[in-house]
Amino acid sequence: MSIILKKNRNLAFPGLLWFLVFFLLPLSVILIYSITERSLMSGEPVRFTMDNFLQVFQKRHYLIILLRSLRISFFTTIISILFSYPVAYFLAKRTKFDRILIVMLIVPFWINYLIRTFAWKLILSDNGILNQVLLGLNIIDEPLRIMYTQTSVLLGLVYTYTPMMVLPLYAALLRIDDSLIEASLDLGASRARAFFDITFRLSLTGIFAGTLLVFIPALGSFAIPAILGGTDSVMIGNMIENQFNLVGNWNTGSAFTISLAVLSIVLVLFYSRIFGLESIYKNRGI
Amino acid sequence: MKIGRSYGLKVYTTLFFLYIFTPLILIFIFAFNSGEGYIFPLQGFTLNWFAEFFRDSTAQRSIGNSLIIALSSATISAILAALLTIGLLKGKFKRPQLYITFLMLPVLMPSLTIGIAALVFFRTISFPSGIPVVILAHVSISMSYVFLIMMARIESLSLTLQEAAIDLGASWYGSIKDIVFPNLMPAMVAGWLFAFMVSWNEFIVTYFLIGNNTTLPIYIFSQLRFGISPKVNVISLLVALFTLLVIIILLSARRLSRRFSQS
Repeated sequence: MSIILKKNRNLAFPGLLWFLVFFLLPLSVILIYSITERSLMSGEPVRFTMDNFLQVFQKRHYLIILLRSLRISFFTTIISILFSYPVAYFLAKRTKFDRILIVMLIVPFWINYLIRTFAWKLILSDNGILNQVLLGLNIIDEPLRIMYTQTSVLLGLVYTYTPMMVLPLYAALLRIDDSLIEASLDLGASRARAFFDITFRLSLTGIFAGTLLVFIPALGSFAIPAILGGTDSVMIGNMIENQFNLVGNWNTGSAFTISLAVLSIVLVLFYSRIFGLESIYKNRGI
Repeated sequence: MKIGRSYGLKVYTTLFFLYIFTPLILIFIFAFNSGEGYIFPLQGFTLNWFAEFFRDSTAQRSIGNSLIIALSSATISAILAALLTIGLLKGKFKRPQLYITFLMLPVLMPSLTIGIAALVFFRTISFPSGIPVVILAHVSISMSYVFLIMMARIESLSLTLQEAAIDLGASWYGSIKDIVFPNLMPAMVAGWLFAFMVSWNEFIVTYFLIGNNTTLPIYIFSQLRFGISPKVNVISLLVALFTLLVIIILLSARRLSRRFSQS
């Protein structure tokens, strides 16, 4: 038995080695960049510094973008919870066709999000479909200027990531035993009380798992603000890209990237402390 | 208790699905519209945009590159992940949970951080950007996804099966090849397809690593940034149909694998 276990163990090493070399090592390299001056390859002695991180949190311009990204991602998450809760509830508790509807929800999700973002560009442009409809129906006199604002970025993010909220919520609601609710109603609770004290509380796992799956990618989004946003909707992702592709400051860029990575890891650890890590990937749907 | 008065919920869910599908349907409609702009009323039916797409060599090259990257990264990551799953969950590890937690990082971290880290790493060791680097990076992301998919499957596979095979005279290698792998095969197929889709759709990491070359998402992104032509609608329509096909295969593979694990 133990010989089998030992031999089986060796099978893990190619994958672990790959993970070490092509994932953990690159992360450590940017970690080093974020706490040093200049390039590692310049040949000069390496000097450690905290300046890169201080810049991230002290320069007004950076701080504005940082706070804006957090705000946009926060609203993306809140709106997606509000949008998806009724749908997830309907799927879990009120229909027999939930499996097929879930597949219908997943299909668009797997179509490249750039394509879906393109659709929103067609809809929200100044002479786009939304404005054509609203002008045609005489609801407005002048086209709405939504495109290239924070609103269009928010709309694009909500549309892209809402399915990621529906799936874990649906899974959490599905697990709730209906007899609990029946019992509470029999014992005299109102429908509202039964909902908030039982259904809503027990679905919190789903809300938190969904929050991870929406908030983290929204915070690190780059393409959606680049396509739908303007100068007032630059997010961390765009700024990081700038640092590498235009400014060429790898140290500051790495500090930004590490901050983003640490923030997401902290969120994940916080979640796994409360609910356990398995519940995230078990709720991912397809 | 799938009952109750729920007209409100029904209406809301219908509206929600309309919200999900309308943008896509709009894209598909304009793939066949003969006008230049995206303006209602539609001007007439045309297949010109399809013809234009088939004349566009950059678009086709980017599709070819995307296929190469997705096929090879999915294959590498399916193999690595299968071995990893057996080794980690059916082998002697002191704290497998620790490794599993680490392996979840690529799934849970923003892909931007992964792309930047890979960019800096490969530039630091002076490895030229291009398709090979993109494949490497895609494997380190999709390997985790495939691992998570397979982990759920392998829990049902008992070690005693492998032990029995060895007791009956099979070599260790034989027990892996004839007992463990065939049992994991359906999950591996599902994982492969999943990895294929992850790579096929991947934009951010590719954007930083592809260099002067192009993939389909990169091509779409560049089209979206600088003026758009209904050719993009045609590509979107074709990609959507292709995606649908892969999902149908994926779902039937999963159903198959569930049937296998039950029998």
